[in-house]
Amino acid sequence: MQKILGLLSIVSVAAGTAIGLFVVRADALQGEVQRLLYVHVPTAWIAMLSFFVVFLMSTLYLVQRKLKWDLVAAASVEIGVLCTALTLILGWLWGRATWGAGGGWTWDPRVTTTAVLLLVYVGYLVVRSMSEDPEQRARWSAVIGVIAFVQVPIVYLSVFWWRSLHQPPSSPRSMASGIGLTMMLNFAAYTIAFTYLLIRRYKLAQQELALELAGPEAEL
Amino acid sequence: MTGAVRDATVAVRDVTVAVRVEGLTRRFGRRWALRGVDLDIDSGASVALLGSNGTGKTTLLRVLSTLLRPTAGRVEVLGQVLPGGAGGAHGASSTDAVRRRSTLMTPHGHAYEELTGLENLRFAARMSGPAVESSRLLKTLDDVGLEDAAHTAVRAYSTGMRKRLELARLSLRTLELVLLDEPFASLDDEGVSLVQAAIGRWRDGGATVVVASHRTRAATERADRVVRLEHGRVASDEPS
Amino acid sequence: MSELFRRSSAILWKDLLTETRTRQGFTAMLSFSALVLLLFSFAFGPDAALLARLSGGLVWVAIVFTGTLSLGRAFQSEELAGGAQLLRLYPGDVRALYLGKLAGNFLLLAALETLLFPAAAILFGAEFGPHAPGLAFVALLGTLGFSVIGTFFAALTVHLRARELLLPILLFPALVPVVLGSVGATDAMLAGDPLGRASGWLRLLAAYDVIMFVVCVWIFPIVLEE
Repeated sequence: MQKILGLLSIVSVAAGTAIGLFVVRADALQGEVQRLLYVHVPTAWIAMLSFFVVFLMSTLYLVQRKLKWDLVAAASVEIGVLCTALTLILGWLWGRATWGAGGGWTWDPRVTTTAVLLLVYVGYLVVRSMSEDPEQRARWSAVIGVIAFVQVPIVYLSVFWWRSLHQPPSSPRSMASGIGLTMMLNFAAYTIAFTYLLIRRYKLAQQELALELAGPEAEL
Repeated sequence: MTGAVRDATVAVRDVTVAVRVEGLTRRFGRRWALRGVDLDIDSGASVALLGSNGTGKTTLLRVLSTLLRPTAGRVEVLGQVLPGGAGGAHGASSTDAVRRRSTLMTPHGHAYEELTGLENLRFAARMSGPAVESSRLLKTLDDVGLEDAAHTAVRAYSTGMRKRLELARLSLRTLELVLLDEPFASLDDEGVSLVQAAIGRWRDGGATVVVASHRTRAATERADRVVRLEHGRVASDEPS
Repeated sequence: MSELFRRSSAILWKDLLTETRTRQGFTAMLSFSALVLLLFSFAFGPDAALLARLSGGLVWVAIVFTGTLSLGRAFQSEELAGGAQLLRLYPGDVRALYLGKLAGNFLLLAALETLLFPAAAILFGAEFGPHAPGLAFVALLGTLGFSVIGTFFAALTVHLRARELLLPILLFPALVPVVLGSVGATDAMLAGDPLGRASGWLRLLAAYDVIMFVVCVWIFPIVLEE
């Protein structure tokens, strides 16, 4: 089952990327740079999805106090942090070309909030590294996982008010059908890959925990 | 109380047992502080909990006091099943019910250095119930021999005076279960007998007292049962 | 409810009494914030017009920095007294600890601001005076938001290694709406609020304060578990 999922993620991501790069025609206005969006937008979606999973798992942990929920949450944070960082880099490349914003930082609200988001969950990971007691670590993580999810939409809103030069979010409907279809394919492919990575990372985390707790019985 | 009588009443709601611990384990990371403790303590009993440092005495007391959650096992204190382990994930009402009728005295006590003895006592009174008049607080300080130090900052207290203040603080509340962690630590003979007198008063009042200590003689003098912990398990359990 | 109030105010009373007795905390906070303001005027000066334009932001950054330093102390005083854990032994809702500490942090920071704003007005040549009532309202909401979130994270990090570093790492991202709202409203008021933007910022601040307060109060007992 896991192998099939893994194979499926590789095939679908490869197919989505290939179609995005070679099959679909480039956007008339943006040119070849637009192809970056086939990676950028689904990556951003996975980042959001993973942080939502973190919130769900954190809440579940606080209700049931079962360590497995904490492990899923932590696995999801790692994927989310990776995807958020990727989103930022890809967005910066794309923005450079399209907005002509130069090589510097664009004080666009979406870019800024994404950076803040990254910092919030990096904080989560730092706190995790500070405790050797699995229950304590799980409790701290779950609290941050819940709080972060509450604060992020408001951070987003506040930064949006603060300064706005970003174009409205591009939805598949506003795009030519070929582009829309390719985007949908990539969304599906990335979601499958996310699921696969999450399961793999969770299983690894389970083994890490077992190893951590299996310490020699002599160590009283 | 004999085992037979206890078994007979267990089918009904067993109010004669203050503490009932079954298969209690507690882990801190990879270190197991408690590895399966089974222990029943009758209401009104006085138990000395012995064992060298690091055998799990403090952890056991902190679990019984509701501060620490068990990793596994079932812990029932004063008729309430505590959350954690077999007690489920939640139980704010049961922990609160236990806290209303019991307390834990830690080796170093709980006092704010910059406040005077009287102010510390007033704070404790406000935290545990409706306002208490100053005259009654002063009377409580009198009882432990701190009348002259009532208006001195705790910073200037000696170890013995701190212990007296701690006893005064605990005497503000009516307690059914008193957990004392190393109450004789770094006390002189006078201090030891002061703590023992306090234990005697709690016993006379019908409270259950558990004293964890590595000072065997001081701890067992007022105990009617001696429980010895080793490596997080009950190694021996016999009447005093 | 009245029990919660009694216990919260007991903690507030105890902390304020300690503070008035030692005065270490407040004096240190005051000199620290003054130094931050001075550093700003060195870093951005001597352009008086620029400093006046930046004054709203600079003051709030000074408040956040100073406030973060004083937050850590609030729970460390409990550790010195035997541990915040021991407060859980008293019967009743442990949220009293959060509410009491929150009130204490708020009052301490508010007292500091009554000195910091005039000092900044003089240093930066900012026109705080004529807008005092409006600014006081902004400061109220901003300081409340800071205390609500700050007290929560201070309690969360008190048992962590490297808590001095971790507190700002967790706190600053969460403070983004508070800082933006406070600075936005302050700047709008200083400019005479020609676009009517101040009320929008104040609404954001108030909403964030309320939401975070509810969430923090709800989760706090878990933070204190062991």
